[in-house]
Amino acid sequence: MPDPTLHTAALAALEAAANRALALSEQGTAVLEPLAGSVFACHCTTPELDFYLHLETDGVRLTGVYEGAVTARITGSASDFSELATSEDAAATLINGNLTLEGNSAPLIEFQHILADLNIDWEAPLVSSLGDVAGHQIAEILRGVFSWGRQASSGLARQVEEFIHEEARLSPPRLEVEDFYRDIAELVMRVDRLQSRVERINRKLQKS
Amino acid sequence: MSDKDTTHFGFKEVKKDAKAGLVADVFHSVAARYDLMNDLMSGGIHRIWKRFTIELSGVRKGNAVLDIAGGTGDLAARFAELVGCEGRVVLADINESMLQVGRDKLLDTGRLGNIEFVQADAQFLPFPDDSFDCVTIAFGLRNVTDKDLALRSILRVLKPGGRLLVLEFSKPENELLSQAYDTYSFRILPFMGRLVANDSDSYQYLAESIRKHPDQETLLDMIEDAGFAQCQFHNMTGGIVALHRGVKP
Ligand SMILES: C[S@@+](CC[C@H](N)C(=O)[O-])C[C@H]1O[C@@H](n2cnc3c(N)ncnc32)[C@H](O)[C@@H]1O
Repeated sequence: MPDPTLHTAALAALEAAANRALALSEQGTAVLEPLAGSVFACHCTTPELDFYLHLETDGVRLTGVYEGAVTARITGSASDFSELATSEDAAATLINGNLTLEGNSAPLIEFQHILADLNIDWEAPLVSSLGDVAGHQIAEILRGVFSWGRQASSGLARQVEEFIHEEARLSPPRLEVEDFYRDIAELVMRVDRLQSRVERINRKLQKS
Repeated sequence: MSDKDTTHFGFKEVKKDAKAGLVADVFHSVAARYDLMNDLMSGGIHRIWKRFTIELSGVRKGNAVLDIAGGTGDLAARFAELVGCEGRVVLADINESMLQVGRDKLLDTGRLGNIEFVQADAQFLPFPDDSFDCVTIAFGLRNVTDKDLALRSILRVLKPGGRLLVLEFSKPENELLSQAYDTYSFRILPFMGRLVANDSDSYQYLAESIRKHPDQETLLDMIEDAGFAQCQFHNMTGGIVALHRGVKP
């Protein structure tokens, strides 16, 4: 498994965004109640990303690891997932689209209907929670996925997919290392300045 | 004095029986500001590390979970939700002040029903054999004098098939990161410690104890030697921390 930090951070941010959006919607998280306990294993092929979507009474949970039984397993590219999410007829999309599905599709279709009915504005909560994510590259990727979900014209979708694919292949540990190193250098300078200020103030206090 | 009688206290060598007391002093002095420092130290990223720990724990409804060196209760709070009212979570820490802060915090969030608080030393756990489905120790093992004794004590209280998870600072995989990290922990941490907790010695100790902690492979061997099976580890944030897992056979 590659470094799970970014993966976990991104899922945590998405989860927070989804729950914020649900809470702001008219019916709130109550709509999930009939489906509580369902777990969907999602395997995205491009960009490569695995996660589990848990529906619970008080919201959704996204995890990178889960070892219990799942309701259904869904495999496809990000554009296939987004097609399902925005589809007017989920059952037809599942039959005709490129997603492969194993397990029980009924809860998935019901969940899709709930999402579609909620008419949630995902963007605001998503963007605000992405501010919390450490690596901004991943935030960019997610922003890309997001805006493309709405505008999906097929040409654009392909371009974005390529962009995401390239981005996702940048090794996160390296980016993180460089960011971290820059932050540290900056922090050291600030600490040095602060330290000498504290010392100056101390000297002043002792004199007076 | 033979090797066996001394242990590390940060970079200082101290007598074994003195270490527990010294460690306790450090945590007494930082308990009140611990959460704030934790956020500042790691830029909040410790929450992500803990989140991954919880995912890997596989803890489910009805499980019994022990969080050793649980401090102010981050992991215990989340476990309490996962195990539900049929389950049981024990938050154990050697330090009374830390337990008190943890208890107050969990009381505030209204999550106390299924959490017990026990003052206990990881080396001598006061629980019957085969009691827990999962035992976690996050950023605590490095403070324990005899880590091997602690690992064996954990093995004893786990049920067969139960999991141990050790979340701990480790050795960064990359030299650049390693240097940056040293600068951070030896210069910035103690300074922040002085500003925030008014106690730079304690944070100097923390930085030193991170350096002295066994690296990934060594800790993996120690966990295997203690009798755990299916041992593995995941590096996080370039190896600044590692999450080790073992299963009681
Ligand atoms: C850095 S804190 C970690 C707290 C918490 N697990 C977290 O991740 O935020 C380390 C804790 O280990 C506790 N500790 C130190 N030695 C211990 C021992 N031998 N047995 C149990 N707890 C110990 C300290 O009192 C302190 O609360």
